[in-house]
Amino acid sequence: MTDQIVEKVAVQTEESRNQGRRAFLKGSAAVAGGVLFTKAASAAEGAGYDPKKAVAPYAGKQELTEVLQDGAARKTLGFGVRKYPYGMPSPFEKEVQRRTLEWLTPDSMASITMTPLQSLHGIITPNGLHFERFHGGVPTINPDEHRLVIHGLVERPLIFTMDDLKRFPSVSRIHFVECPANGAMEWKGVQLNSVQWTHGMMSCVEYTGVRLSDLLKEAGIKPEGKWIIPEGADAAGLTRSIPIDLAMDDCFVAYAQNGEALRREQGYPIRLVVPGCEANMWVKYLRRIQVHDVPAQHREETSKYTELMPDGTAQRFSWYMEPNSVITYPSPDFKMQGPGKYYVRGLAWSGRGKVAHVDVSFDGGKNWKEAHFTSPVLDKAWTRFEVEWEWDGSEAFLMSRVTDETGYVQPPMPQMRTLEGTNNVYHRTAMVTWRVHAWEDGKNGGMIENVQY
Amino acid sequence: MFSTNKTLIAAAVATLFAGSASAMSGSSDGASGEKINGKYAANYEEIIRAADGKYLDAKVIEAILGKDATYGREGLEGKLDPANPYSFEVEDSIDGGNHGNAQCKIPAAFVEVHDSAKANYYNDSKFVARGFGTPIAESALAKWNIVVDGDGKGLPDASVGMTVEEGAKIYVQFCGMCHGEFGEGAKGYLPLAVDENLITSAFDDPAPMKTVGNYWPYATTLFDYIRRTMPFWTPNAPFIGDKGYMGIVGYILQSNYVKLDENGTEIQDDDFFNSEMLMKANKFMKNQGNFFCDHRPVIHNERCMTNCPDAQVGDGKGDIHHYKQARRLPDGTPQYNVPQRMHEDPPGVGHSGM
Repeated sequence: MTDQIVEKVAVQTEESRNQGRRAFLKGSAAVAGGVLFTKAASAAEGAGYDPKKAVAPYAGKQELTEVLQDGAARKTLGFGVRKYPYGMPSPFEKEVQRRTLEWLTPDSMASITMTPLQSLHGIITPNGLHFERFHGGVPTINPDEHRLVIHGLVERPLIFTMDDLKRFPSVSRIHFVECPANGAMEWKGVQLNSVQWTHGMMSCVEYTGVRLSDLLKEAGIKPEGKWIIPEGADAAGLTRSIPIDLAMDDCFVAYAQNGEALRREQGYPIRLVVPGCEANMWVKYLRRIQVHDVPAQHREETSKYTELMPDGTAQRFSWYMEPNSVITYPSPDFKMQGPGKYYVRGLAWSGRGKVAHVDVSFDGGKNWKEAHFTSPVLDKAWTRFEVEWEWDGSEAFLMSRVTDETGYVQPPMPQMRTLEGTNNVYHRTAMVTWRVHAWEDGKNGGMIENVQY
Repeated sequence: MFSTNKTLIAAAVATLFAGSASAMSGSSDGASGEKINGKYAANYEEIIRAADGKYLDAKVIEAILGKDATYGREGLEGKLDPANPYSFEVEDSIDGGNHGNAQCKIPAAFVEVHDSAKANYYNDSKFVARGFGTPIAESALAKWNIVVDGDGKGLPDASVGMTVEEGAKIYVQFCGMCHGEFGEGAKGYLPLAVDENLITSAFDDPAPMKTVGNYWPYATTLFDYIRRTMPFWTPNAPFIGDKGYMGIVGYILQSNYVKLDENGTEIQDDDFFNSEMLMKANKFMKNQGNFFCDHRPVIHNERCMTNCPDAQVGDGKGDIHHYKQARRLPDGTPQYNVPQRMHEDPPGVGHSGM
């Protein structure tokens, strides 16, 4: 590290410094430059870290003087290894659970639970908190007996064991999986005060599996095979029709989720992964893929998963999940802690690719501030955003708005309602609004409420 | 997509808008080949690639479709035109009937998907099977292959069936306890036969109930689905069999007053209901022809950062204090299912299922 380098670094403009920071993130050689710059700048300007200035905001606050005591954890031994051969969360986290609304469905075998998004961090959903949606309960399938068949318009119908599938080249990718009914209860106004209820019909995990294109090509797809009809081995025997172009794009047959085998609730031993598309297409307990010339027009693509429009017509084959975003902190499960600085965070995702920008408004959509990403930005995956907010304690209306790499900008609810009506059930992807009550608002001061424009 | 990251070509975006201007102003007197059917920029792929793949950007859509209300960015109908690069629709009818149903495909403008499918499939001339699977005869799948498609392929032959009256008895025995004896619904399960108008006049009206008669576009779906999944506790039951499932379908179609021909012939109790009758009914499902392929995105906003227009603020008229709240319990607690908990509303969320 010669003086020459220090000097050169010290004259960097603000712009080039930022570029260097980006290069640093990319792991380039500019690392040394960034570090040196800080050092050189403090020497040159005499404006380095000032400990007195740093603690100024604490001035005048009463300090605690009571001597801290040791707790039980410090004075006794904890439990030994293998107390839990399969580890469990701390009992203090027992409220962090999948939950359902008993009035949504008449039984628990054809029902849904929602992921507690308000309690999650980063972009990975733990396997035990992954949302559930079944049409015929959860089967417990012995993988040694499970088979996958590919047949129909193919040259060579084939059957695979689970060991056969694991012999194929593998792919591991992080994707969100979202029920298109996520947010469905909010078409006609709000009725739910938790992000678990408004957005919890989704999760984001790392899947490992075999590319569907590899499996389909293995069986020799005939040119007239334009659709595939995947089918489950459970009581629901769920089927959907997927066009071959979509199947060959980036779909895969997953056997693992977050590093371990899929959970039974998510399709053990194998499920289809259709990145970016509605979760109903991600057939679980997959046992058969029929290659076909036409779509099957089955119940899950005609009676259900079609969107009724204001004029009485209905949209079908709405495969892609449009870009969406939500602020998870602060959100209705929290209460503000008083005026001051907050780091507003949330999730953004797009079924059509990567998230490009997330903007946050504190005034109901009039003005927006661009958030930065605190997670990797991945294709068709949750992206975690964060933005600094100085709350002055007055009433505020928080909204987040995603723009994805295709250039699509998430719409406000009044606009979506005008164009799409309110009878769609599915694909309600407009923005939500959290109303922060003014700090001086009596017993509701600092309350965060789900409201809808 | 499995393909590698796209690279940013900032300069190309500028070119795009220059190019789009000419594509739009070219109108009818433009050089031939510039437009598809005189409406859409034929070089849409070029325009999209020049804009770094931003095929849903408001400006890109406008550059390709133009702006007008019929075929352009402002219009929805244009998207149902097979020539439109943003249309999910193709022309070929899959059943030759009067359904107005056609296959839906990935729009041409979604170039990323098509590029990926080409790389992974159509252009993969080197692919040779790895040989990890085991060949299986189609005949070995006789029990597993229960798919019936919208054309009726997969239906049992015409000798399999029973009279609608017999079908009704089976329905009452195995289905009525949840779906109601006449398909009116029971125990929180949704009805199968309610003749409700699908159009509501106001946004906060209760959503219409969608049932077989007023919503389902295909009768074939009924046979496939009921045989596949019902009775709920023991699906695809051999003691009901294809014959019994056919009878159940006949009874449900009758309960929904589905007709069999142009003359409005109704299904009679003593009709022998089989796959031929089913395929007749399949052509006269009341709501057929009312389904259209995915038309999204219908919204293509520009990203506004400061002083945004009233249409995008608050209630859509610029008022941020005009909002709806969730109802509260009498003690003031915000709650999620107030009408149900106060027994003002029946269980359910006012629409047919999730």
